[in-house]
Amino acid sequence: MSTADRRTIGELLADSEALARETLLDATLEQAPAMVRSWNQLVGSAVELWAVLPSVPNSPSWSDPMERLRAIGEAISRSVTAGHWPGQGPTNEHLTQIADNLSHAQHLLERSGRPSQSPTTDSPADLQHAPGQVMHTLYVAAHGTVVALSAYTADLHAQAETAKRRRQPVAERPAALEISAAQGMIARFDGFEHLAAAAYLAGEPPSPTNPEQAATPTKPLETALAAWEVQAHRTLAASPDPAGLVRVARVQALITSTTSILTEAAAQKGHIDVDVIQRLAPALEASQIAWNRMAKRWGELTNPASRTEPALVGAASEVRAAIAATASNQAGWATPDQLASRLDLPNIVKTLHLSMVASVEIAHVVRDTAADHPGLTAPARIIGMRSQGEAEIALEQGETRYEGVTWTTPRQLASNQLIPLPEPARRGLINIADDVLATTKQAVAAGAQLEPSDVTRSTRCGRQAPIGRSVESHQITRPNNPAPIGPGR
Amino acid sequence: MSFQRMDADTAETLAGMVRLLRRAAELVWAAANTEGAGSPRQVLALGIDLAADEARNLLPDAIAVDGPVPIGDQPAGLLRSAEQLLRRIDTPAAGAALHGLRARVADLVWEANTDVDG
Repeated sequence: MSTADRRTIGELLADSEALARETLLDATLEQAPAMVRSWNQLVGSAVELWAVLPSVPNSPSWSDPMERLRAIGEAISRSVTAGHWPGQGPTNEHLTQIADNLSHAQHLLERSGRPSQSPTTDSPADLQHAPGQVMHTLYVAAHGTVVALSAYTADLHAQAETAKRRRQPVAERPAALEISAAQGMIARFDGFEHLAAAAYLAGEPPSPTNPEQAATPTKPLETALAAWEVQAHRTLAASPDPAGLVRVARVQALITSTTSILTEAAAQKGHIDVDVIQRLAPALEASQIAWNRMAKRWGELTNPASRTEPALVGAASEVRAAIAATASNQAGWATPDQLASRLDLPNIVKTLHLSMVASVEIAHVVRDTAADHPGLTAPARIIGMRSQGEAEIALEQGETRYEGVTWTTPRQLASNQLIPLPEPARRGLINIADDVLATTKQAVAAGAQLEPSDVTRSTRCGRQAPIGRSVESHQITRPNNPAPIGPGR
Repeated sequence: MSFQRMDADTAETLAGMVRLLRRAAELVWAAANTEGAGSPRQVLALGIDLAADEARNLLPDAIAVDGPVPIGDQPAGLLRSAEQLLRRIDTPAAGAALHGLRARVADLVWEANTDVDG
């Protein structure tokens, strides 16, 4: 940002949108790692600008769409800082420039509110579109990152195949771990992109591609789910422990079951195609089972003195209450007829599908926590048992580094002392998180046609194989917005 | 209710209630797992878990929560016992959190009673 920068807020935002579109054109595989590293700065700037925009509805943080995006941006950043792929390195110029623009717009806006300063030259009408522009910028930039990551992963695959054909030494081939880490990152940015697209469309005036959603009984569930996602991220970032992780997994399992019940009801009432539900129902069931297995495994690591963070308990209680009121009756789940009479089924199914998208990110954070959070402790007896079990599995697979290792001391066992999780105990937790990720991603892919708008739906073809998605097919049009303000780029 | 003002009897009662709720949750989760994916019992099971969390969070760290596993294999019965224990705590120090917990446990008793095997 130059000191002589005289652009208005409207111009800065228009430039940011243009830069985001340019990231799509320049989304080459070489840019992918740098784009991931720049993400937190971009989201951080957007969050700070969002907080001072006059036209953003004054809503509590948990119902603010930007809060959901902030949680994901921070989670990705924590993962990179902890040493996961792509690790430290150069950042992306385009995304950094967008972040600078947004920060500059924030400073202009803050300055214009002070009595000693001249007001911004932007008219209220210009600023009225600012939230939509910020959200659209994030959405397009996220998509650009997904495109670059997809190209990066495809290239690694191709290199690995060539190396295998030429029988190159394993040490010279791309690491399988890097491929899976980059694929994981695609899923995380995909989730971000979905949520940004939905938030953008929710803020737009109704149009044929974005029909108006009436205030319905779905609102409490929608609010509870959004609040839950934000709180789950906060808890996992601040103080993850086995008790909290059990609650996170149980709530996610319940959300998945509810998605299944309501989606099947929507299908019975003719709102969803039969072939979609045939793919989606088993995928949701597998995801629900995986989340519950995760809860059970983390549950083994709790102890009688364990506590669950009150804020997490509160958010979980809200989700449970909203689900009970929405989807159940005295005998269990409500019948499809009851659900159809109570709810706007097509809309609530879309809401739940978005929640599934967000749950992929939560699963990634749980995986990262299991992999290397230093503060995780559990009772010595169960750790000893689990570590030994995993070590024996490793030994059967030819891995000898755990041979003869003891994981607990007699004194720790005698008092069942809380001790840090050794590597083999983490291995089982990581495997379960991988199951959750695989099954949940499959459910998200199977439900891709339940997207919030026809526009995004058209971009979702090939979700199961994101590699090679075309840039041209992916634009949310902005028919109700004025032409971008400011100089063209 | 602040931790400092909680007397030993109240703390013991609450700890007993936490054990009852945790045991009830364990039984309902076992039933839900037997029914398989998508069991509606998970709504009740999660509700009991969360009530146990709330009760646990009312207790100071110094109070040991572990103790004998409560007798009984009927979740509704265990929940009723928990509710009765809660009624015994009626000190002026019983704050909004405790009143809220009472209401939630009473709801759970009702939910468990309408549950087929409750």
